[in-house]
Amino acid sequence: MELKEKLVASFMAFENRGNVDLDSKVHQVRTEAFEFFEKNDFPTKRDENWKYTSLKSVLKHDYNVFPKKENTLEFKDVKKYFIHDLDSYKIVFIDGVYSSFLSETTHEGFDICLMSSALKMEKYSGVMEKYFNKIAPKETLTSLNTAFADEGAYIKIGNNTVVPRPIQVINFSTGAEKDIIIQPRNLVIVGENSQVQIIERHQSLTEDHKTFTNSVTEIFADKSSIVDYYKIQNDLETSSLIDGTYIEQQEKSVVNVSTFSFGGKLTRNNLVFHQQGSRTESNLNGISILDGKQHVDNQTLVKHNSPDCESNEMYKGIYAGKSKGVFGGKIIVDQIAQRINAFQKNNSILIGEKSEINAKPQLEIFADDVKCSHGCTIGQLDEDALFYLQSRGIPKKEAKALLLFAFGNDVLEKIKIPQLKSRIRKQIAKSLKVNLEFEW
Amino acid sequence: MSKYTEDDLKKELEVQEYEYGFYTDIESDTFPAGLSEDIIKAISKKKDEPQWLTDWRLDAYRIWKEMEEPDWANVNYEKPDFNAISYYSAPKSVDPNKTLDDVDPELLKTFEKLGISLDEQKKLSGVAVDIIVDSVSVATTFKKTLGEKGIIFCSMSEAVKEHPELVRKYLGTVVPKTDNFYAALNSAVFTDGSFCYIPKGVRCPMELSTYFRINEGGTGQFERTLVIADESSYVSYLEGCTAPARDENQLHAAVVELISMDDAEIKYSTVQNWFPGSKEGKGGVFNFVTKRGICHNRAKISWTQVETGSAITWKYPSCILKGDDSVGEFYSIAVTNNYQQADTGTKMIHLGNNTKSTIISKGVSAGFSQNSYRGLVHISPRAKNARNFSQCDSLLMGDQCGAHTFPYIEVKNNTAKIEHEATTSKIGEEQLFYCNQRGINTEKAIALIVNGFSKDVLNKLPMEFAVEAQKLLEISLEGSVG
Amino acid sequence: MLKIKNLHASINGNDILKGISLEVKAGEVHAIMGPNGAGKSTLASIIAGKEDYDVTDGEISLDGNDIMELSPEERAHKGVFLSFQYPVEIPGVSVTNFIKTSINESRKAQGLEEMPAKDMLKMIREKSDLLEIDRKFLSRSLNEGFSGGEKKRNEIFQMAMLEPKLAILDETDSGLDIDALRIVANGINKLKSKDNAVIVITHYQRLLDHIVPDFVHVLHDGKIVKSGTKELALELEEKGYDWLKNI
Repeated sequence: MELKEKLVASFMAFENRGNVDLDSKVHQVRTEAFEFFEKNDFPTKRDENWKYTSLKSVLKHDYNVFPKKENTLEFKDVKKYFIHDLDSYKIVFIDGVYSSFLSETTHEGFDICLMSSALKMEKYSGVMEKYFNKIAPKETLTSLNTAFADEGAYIKIGNNTVVPRPIQVINFSTGAEKDIIIQPRNLVIVGENSQVQIIERHQSLTEDHKTFTNSVTEIFADKSSIVDYYKIQNDLETSSLIDGTYIEQQEKSVVNVSTFSFGGKLTRNNLVFHQQGSRTESNLNGISILDGKQHVDNQTLVKHNSPDCESNEMYKGIYAGKSKGVFGGKIIVDQIAQRINAFQKNNSILIGEKSEINAKPQLEIFADDVKCSHGCTIGQLDEDALFYLQSRGIPKKEAKALLLFAFGNDVLEKIKIPQLKSRIRKQIAKSLKVNLEFEW
Repeated sequence: MSKYTEDDLKKELEVQEYEYGFYTDIESDTFPAGLSEDIIKAISKKKDEPQWLTDWRLDAYRIWKEMEEPDWANVNYEKPDFNAISYYSAPKSVDPNKTLDDVDPELLKTFEKLGISLDEQKKLSGVAVDIIVDSVSVATTFKKTLGEKGIIFCSMSEAVKEHPELVRKYLGTVVPKTDNFYAALNSAVFTDGSFCYIPKGVRCPMELSTYFRINEGGTGQFERTLVIADESSYVSYLEGCTAPARDENQLHAAVVELISMDDAEIKYSTVQNWFPGSKEGKGGVFNFVTKRGICHNRAKISWTQVETGSAITWKYPSCILKGDDSVGEFYSIAVTNNYQQADTGTKMIHLGNNTKSTIISKGVSAGFSQNSYRGLVHISPRAKNARNFSQCDSLLMGDQCGAHTFPYIEVKNNTAKIEHEATTSKIGEEQLFYCNQRGINTEKAIALIVNGFSKDVLNKLPMEFAVEAQKLLEISLEGSVG
Repeated sequence: MLKIKNLHASINGNDILKGISLEVKAGEVHAIMGPNGAGKSTLASIIAGKEDYDVTDGEISLDGNDIMELSPEERAHKGVFLSFQYPVEIPGVSVTNFIKTSINESRKAQGLEEMPAKDMLKMIREKSDLLEIDRKFLSRSLNEGFSGGEKKRNEIFQMAMLEPKLAILDETDSGLDIDALRIVANGINKLKSKDNAVIVITHYQRLLDHIVPDFVHVLHDGKIVKSGTKELALELEEKGYDWLKNI
C-alpha cells in the first residue's frame, strides 16, 4: 500500500480510538490538517522549496504508523545517547510512546511534561487553543504531523522563571517490529523574563528497520525571554528525519537554535523565526558533517516583522564521500521592520570527490533602513595552511582534521552548556575520523 | 573625462519626463494584429526567406503554442494578449539597396533626437551602427571599413540572404527554439536584428553598435541578434534601446546568441532605456529577453548591462563555459523607480575545466519599484577547478520599494571555489548630511552616491556608453527623494 | 562673523543645549572644551544645519544674516565648514571627484563659472602638498578604508580646498598620532587669516599646543559655564572637568 493511502486509513483508526472528543478544537485542527495533507500530498522536486531534496527513497517503505506493542529499554543500553553527565530534566519516548521509566518530568514551578496530557486534559484546553498549531505553516508535512499530533514534549514556563536545569527531549526508535513512522509534536511556551535550555535528539537503535521521523516543534518566546534550543542529529543510516521548528518571538526576546547534523540518511530541517516584537534577536547556527550517501537539507527563514531587530545566521558544512548538502536561507524584512540588522553566513567544504552542495541564500527586503547581508563560500581546505601544519610535523590526516575542526569552531563556540559542547566536540573529532583531544 | 558638463546635466535634470518619448510620424507598413501560421509564412515571404527558415519558424511556432508563459519571476503584470500584437511593422520607405541618403528624413530626425547623428558617429566616434526601428534594420554604417577586414556586420535579414550558411549553422544553437516561452515566440516571429561575424584572428577595430527602437503603437519587437567571434578574434558590441511613451504596454522579446570560439573574446554591453511607464505605472515596455553566450576553449564572454527602462524587465544574460579555461563575466546595474519591476541576473554554467566566472550586480530601487537579482552558478561534476566570485549589492531609496536577491549555487565538483556576497543598505542620512555640509544639494548628492555605488560596473562600459549610462542613472532616479 | 544667541536645542525631547551665546569675530580662534556629552558636537552640527535637532529657542547669524532657515548646503555655500568627528564613507566616489563636485556646487551657488580643470589640478596639488598627502590617496574612495588619521587629514584637505569663512573642527585631533597632529595643525595655521575664523572643539588640550586659541569656552551640560583665554585650557588639563560641576 502506498504510504499516503496507509496514512489515510490510519487517520480514521487514529480518530476512532475512542478517546477523542469529537467536539474539541484539537479534533477540528487535526481534521483540517489532514484534509490539507490529503489534498496536497507529499512535496516533490517540482516544489521550489524541495528543488534539491527528493523524498522518494524515504517514502517508498512500508511504515507502521503506530507501534504494535510497547517497547522498553534499559537505561544502561541507551545511556550514551544522553548527555549523562548533565543534571537535567528528561522527556523520553520509545517508538513514539512516553517512557516514564527513562524520563524525569515536573510540574513544580513549571510544566515539563507530555503533549498527550496537554491535548487531552481540560485544564490545558485554554493554552492549547492559544498556542497549538498557531505558527506551524500549512504545508503537507507539518499538516500530516498535526493530523496525527498525539505525543511529544510539552514545556510551559511562566513569567520570571529561570529553569535551573536543561531539558533533554529524546525520541528512541527501537526497530523492534518493522519500519516505523514517528511524528513527535512538541510545544514550548516561555513566559516573560524567563529562560530555558532544551536539547533535542532523535535516535534509532538498530539498523534492522527503517525509521522515518516527521517532527514538529512550536516555540513561543514571550517578552524578554531567552530560549536556547539544541538539536543533535546523529542517527543511523537507516533513519530519515524531517524536522519543522517554528518560533514566534515577542519584544526583546532572544532565541538561539543550534543544529548539529552528523548522522541519518536524509535530514531536512525547516527552521522558521517570526519576529513579532521589536528589539528581538534570533540566532541560527548549524554544523553538518556528512559522509557516505547522507543528505542534509537546512532551510531557514527569518521573518523580520518588527522594527529594531537582529538576526545572525551561521551554517557550516563539511561534506565527504558522496554526501549532499543543501542550504536555503531566506531573510524577509517587512515594510514596517525598519532598522534591522540581518546577517547570514554559509560556508561549505567539499571533501568527497562526489560530494555536492546546493545553496540558495535569499534576501527579500521591503524596508529601506536596513543592513542585511549574506555571504556564501564553497571550497576546499586552505592548501597553504595544510602545508604549514605539515611542516611543523603534524601528519596530513591530523592536520586536515585540525583545519576542519577550526572551520567549524565558531559555531561550536556558541554552545552555552559545557557538557554539551564537549560532547559535540568529541563527535566532530569522531566524524572527522581522528582521535585528537582538542583543547580550545 | 568627457565633454559632458554640469550645465548639460542641469538641462537633463530639467527634463522630468522620459526623454526619448517622442513618436516619429513616418508611414509604416504594419501587419494586422494576431499570430497564426499564415502570419508567420507572410513574415517569411515578405522577407523573401529560404524555405528552411520558414520551416524553422513554423516549427518554433508549434512549440510555442504548447508552452505556458512562465510566472516564476518576482514580477506582477497583466499577461500580454499575443493576438493583439502586430508582429511586423516596417517603416515603408525602406529600400534594401539603401544608403544613408535614401533614409526617410523623418527617421533621420528621430536618430538625431536619440542623439545618434549617423554622420557625426561616422566621423567622430568610430562606432559602426546598425539601427533597428520597430522590426527592420534601416541603416548599417561603416560596412565598407569593416568589410576590408572580413568582418560581417549587417542586419539579420541581409545575413540570411548574403551568408545563409553562417546563419543556418549557428542560429538557435545557443538559445534553442524550445528554450523558453519568449525565445520560442521570438524564433517564430523575429523580423530583424543584427548579425555579426568576426573572422579568425581579427580584432574588430571599432565598437559595433545596434540601436533598437519601437515606434509603432501596438507592435511587438522581436529582434534576433547573432554574434560569432571565430578563433582568436575580438569584438566589442554595444546595444541601445528606446521606445516612445505610450499608454499601452509594448512587448519586446528579443533573443541574443553569442558564440565565442577558441581564444576569442566578446564584450557585449547594453544600455537599456525602454519606456518605463508613466509615474503612475501606466504603459511601458515589457522586456522579456533571452541572452546567452557559449565559450569554447580559452574563450571569454563579458556581459555589461545598464538597465534603467522598461515597466518589466525579465532578463538573464548567461554564459555556458563549455571550453576549458574559458571565462564568463556579468556586470550589471539595474535601476528601478516608480512602478517598475526588474527581475534580472545571470547564469554561469561551468562545464569545462579551470573555468572562471565573475558576477557583479548592483540594484537601485526607488519609488514603488521592485528590483530582484536572480542568478545561478552551476558547477558540473566534470568541471575541475572552477572558480566563481559573485557580489550582489542593493541600494534602497524610500520605504515603498523592495530589493530582493535569489542566487542559486549548485556545486557538483569538489575542486570548485565559490564566493558569494550580497548586501542591502540605504543611502545614509549621515552620507547626505556630509555632502550637504560640503555644499552639495541632496539630489546631486544622491546622484554622486549612486554613481559611486555603480562604479565597478560603469567602469566596464566603453567610454561613449559610460557617460550616457551615468546620465541615465541620474534621470531614472529623478524625483525619487522626498 | 558668527553670532549665537541663547540657543536651546533638543533631540527626541531631551534637552541638549540649554542657552548658549557665543560671538566669533573674523581673525579669531575659539576653542570649545568640555567633558563627553556636554553638547559640543551638537552645537557644531546645529551651526552646520543638521536637521535631527529641534532648535527650541535662540538665533544663529552669520555676518548679520539669520541662517537658521538655511539648508546645510546653503550654509556651506556661505562659507561654513564642519570638519566631522566621524567622517562618512562614500564608496566608489573618489576624493578628487568629491571635492570637485563640492567646489563647483559652491561656485554655482555664488553665480560663478565652474573652476577650470587646470586650476583645479593646480589647487589640488598645492593643498595636498601642504597637508603632506600622497596623490594616490586622492583617487581612493572617500573615507572608505581610511585610517582615523587619514580621515581627519582628508577633512582638513577639503577645508583647504574650500577656503571657508568659518571652520568648525570637531575633535579633529582624535585619532591622530603626534606627527599627523603636527601636520594637520600646521595646515590649519597656514589657512588662518584675518578674514576667517576657526572654532576648535576638543576634549583635550594637546591640539591647542599647536593651534593657539584667542578664547577658550567650557561647555558643560548644554551651557557655557566658563570662558577665558588660553590659560583656561591649561587649567582644565590640570584639574579635569569635575570641578566645573559646582560652578
